[in-house]
Amino acid sequence: MKDALVLQSRVPAHPDSRCWFLAWNPTGTLLASCGGDRKIRIWGTEGDSWICKSVLSEGHQRTVRKVAWSPCGNYLASASFDATTCIWKKNQDDFECVTTLEGHENEVKSVAWAPSGNLLATCSRDKSVWVWEVDEEDEYECVSVLNSHTQDVKHVVWHPSQELLASASYDDTVKLYQEEGDDWVCCATLEGHESTVWSIAFDPSGQRLASCSDDRTVRIWRQYLPGNEQGVACSGSDPSWKCVCTLSGFHTRTIYDVAWCQLTGALATACGDDAIRVFEEDPGSDPQQPTFSLTAHLRQAHSQDVNCVAWNPKEAGLLASCSDDGEVAFWEYHQPAGL
Amino acid sequence: MASPFSGALQLTDLDDFIGPSQSCIKPVTVAKKPGSGIAKIHIEDDGSYFQVNPDGRSQKLEKAKVSLNDCLACSGCVTSAETILITQQSHEELRKVLDANKVAAPGQQRLVVVSVSPQSRASLAARFQLDSTDTARKLTSFFKKIGVHFVFDTAFARNFSLLESQKEFVQRFREQANSREALPMLASACPGWICYAEKTHGNFILPYISTARSPQQVMGSLIKDFFAQQQLLTPDKIYHVTVMPCYDKKLEASRPDFFNQEYQTRDVDCVLTTGEVFRLLEEEGVSLSELEPVPLDGLTRSVSAEEPTSHRGGGSGGYLEHVFRHAAQELFGIHVADVTYQPMRNKDFQEVTLEREGQVLLRFAVAYGFRNIQNLVQKLKRGRCPYHYVEVMACPSGCLNGGGQLKAPDTEGRELLQQVERLYSMVRTEAPEDAPGVQELYQHWLQGEDSERASHLLHTQYHAVEKINSGLSIRW
Repeated sequence: MKDALVLQSRVPAHPDSRCWFLAWNPTGTLLASCGGDRKIRIWGTEGDSWICKSVLSEGHQRTVRKVAWSPCGNYLASASFDATTCIWKKNQDDFECVTTLEGHENEVKSVAWAPSGNLLATCSRDKSVWVWEVDEEDEYECVSVLNSHTQDVKHVVWHPSQELLASASYDDTVKLYQEEGDDWVCCATLEGHESTVWSIAFDPSGQRLASCSDDRTVRIWRQYLPGNEQGVACSGSDPSWKCVCTLSGFHTRTIYDVAWCQLTGALATACGDDAIRVFEEDPGSDPQQPTFSLTAHLRQAHSQDVNCVAWNPKEAGLLASCSDDGEVAFWEYHQPAGL
Repeated sequence: MASPFSGALQLTDLDDFIGPSQSCIKPVTVAKKPGSGIAKIHIEDDGSYFQVNPDGRSQKLEKAKVSLNDCLACSGCVTSAETILITQQSHEELRKVLDANKVAAPGQQRLVVVSVSPQSRASLAARFQLDSTDTARKLTSFFKKIGVHFVFDTAFARNFSLLESQKEFVQRFREQANSREALPMLASACPGWICYAEKTHGNFILPYISTARSPQQVMGSLIKDFFAQQQLLTPDKIYHVTVMPCYDKKLEASRPDFFNQEYQTRDVDCVLTTGEVFRLLEEEGVSLSELEPVPLDGLTRSVSAEEPTSHRGGGSGGYLEHVFRHAAQELFGIHVADVTYQPMRNKDFQEVTLEREGQVLLRFAVAYGFRNIQNLVQKLKRGRCPYHYVEVMACPSGCLNGGGQLKAPDTEGRELLQQVERLYSMVRTEAPEDAPGVQELYQHWLQGEDSERASHLLHTQYHAVEKINSGLSIRW
């Protein structure tokens, strides 16, 4: 495990502010960061250094909590505590705010683009999850307002290839949504966490979901289709989701983010104890009862809470993280021999 | 993401005492008082607070009050105190009034009046597998059995709401050249929509909203003004209950605009949802099917007491249809026999157009449900709203699917709604211009169709709610 995670670079991304979230563009060449300074910064490499290429500073009046790239890489969405979501269009060397989505009653906590690129999801402290549709003229329309959660919704994420949406909430649950007729409905509720669920991530196949929580555990949920071999009961034609693994005992504080590498399957966590951890599924473990091993543990990855971890989508092993200390760090993860 | 509070407070988990999403929306008003800032607070045994000033005098401090209006407007916490307030609008309260009447001296009794909405009646009809007319009569029988004196149908009041809406639209259409806020006119019958508009979009959107009162509040005027006079009573001697398809009507009834200062009484004292009436029936051990029907009461002699009547245009009151047909005739001389609805992006967003020689003269829409309201508001803000009139209702599928209606198991919800719609549409319809008693009341009660009294008793106003930007509300 020694030297499994090596610091490549560290930059003071959001000085005197928290850095809340990071998002790689689809080609892995740019990293967007956002923070308490109400700004979004775009990072790219020049030689061996990570350089701030753009600062998007005129869109929001309060903290920018999360950012998300569109699947085509030409748009960036930002969710802010000012209750709005901005859509930025990438031009040659700069970004232009082309639309501001309004409607949430208060802080927008997360935003995510569907794999098709024509749907966007947002969630808020007002307990709702909104689905927006984009048309050819870059007009956004509200398709659905989902009130299934009973508390603050922290994160939304789309399935890697299907139009299936997942949300994580202060009500300790994860909910899944799918389209039904001309509206969206909650099709599953994943219960088991004992405290706030801060983040969720699908595995590369989309058949499993990882969730991390204030209860200091990461849970792995598996999808069971109707008529599955294991005989897991499903209601109607909707799949069932069951918790097949709980990673407990590893984290000493709240786990704020979990990232499932789409290239290698490695699972990284961001923790309030200032550490970053990486887990890998044990080869040959039972798919119905998978086991994961801790393959990297970096104490003091940051000088304060780690808020986000993000795997580069193209370069295996490249991991970015950010913290309450305002810094972004770039790490190189070396998969241990034997995995 | 660490809490900004000190370690000591973090240990007590103080920050989560009320969850982050549950910040109270009640703005705290601090009245500045002159004088020295130094004082002690003394707590009496009964829990009241006294301020002891430096000169030794003590002064009882006022409590901060949270009213029903604040709570129903917010989807956040409902603490036990608010629960008590909300129960003031419940069937238990009606029961108390009826029980008090039984033991009161004849001269001290309150006259209890119940007004039933057509939507609630259709919902109960579906549950008890009765037709709408039988349901209306059996409901009347039930209410009278438990001590209610009069039972009316709010469809009668809706005649006025529709007529005033029609007239208002024509007025606005004619002056749209002079006023940018004349059109589109947005319907005003839905209190959930009104509350949302006041709270979130305020002075931008309120001018577009029709000032015509909803059927419930027109009924309030009729009962506490006209009917009270007719019965030789002051308004506070009448206890007026309405039966409505949604909880938001409770909020509407409690608006200060519908409170009579002189007699300290509301136009509508208590709103019961369909579900609450059902609970009342259950508690009385009554099945509606078994009751002997009794004729409905009529507000005037010419109002038919034999059977309820309704209006064209669907289960949310028919505002679009009535305004559309009236406007087509009045503004363009075109008689519209049937209104054709064109579905747009979803079933709750439909369009109606009036065309002549390929030119669109009128473009109307229905927008039900929050997502469609959201899109409408955004189009308005961007100056891209193509409509002259929009019938806005907060509930998906409209009022027949209101939050207070009787529910079905999930798999049967759609089927139940269709049944309620069928039952609703089976009631005989009547044009408001032709409804018996309406013209009579315009002349003798309101002193004319464009009179000041009509404006006062059939129209209302809206008030923007200021947003709170307290630093304490910042969460992560």
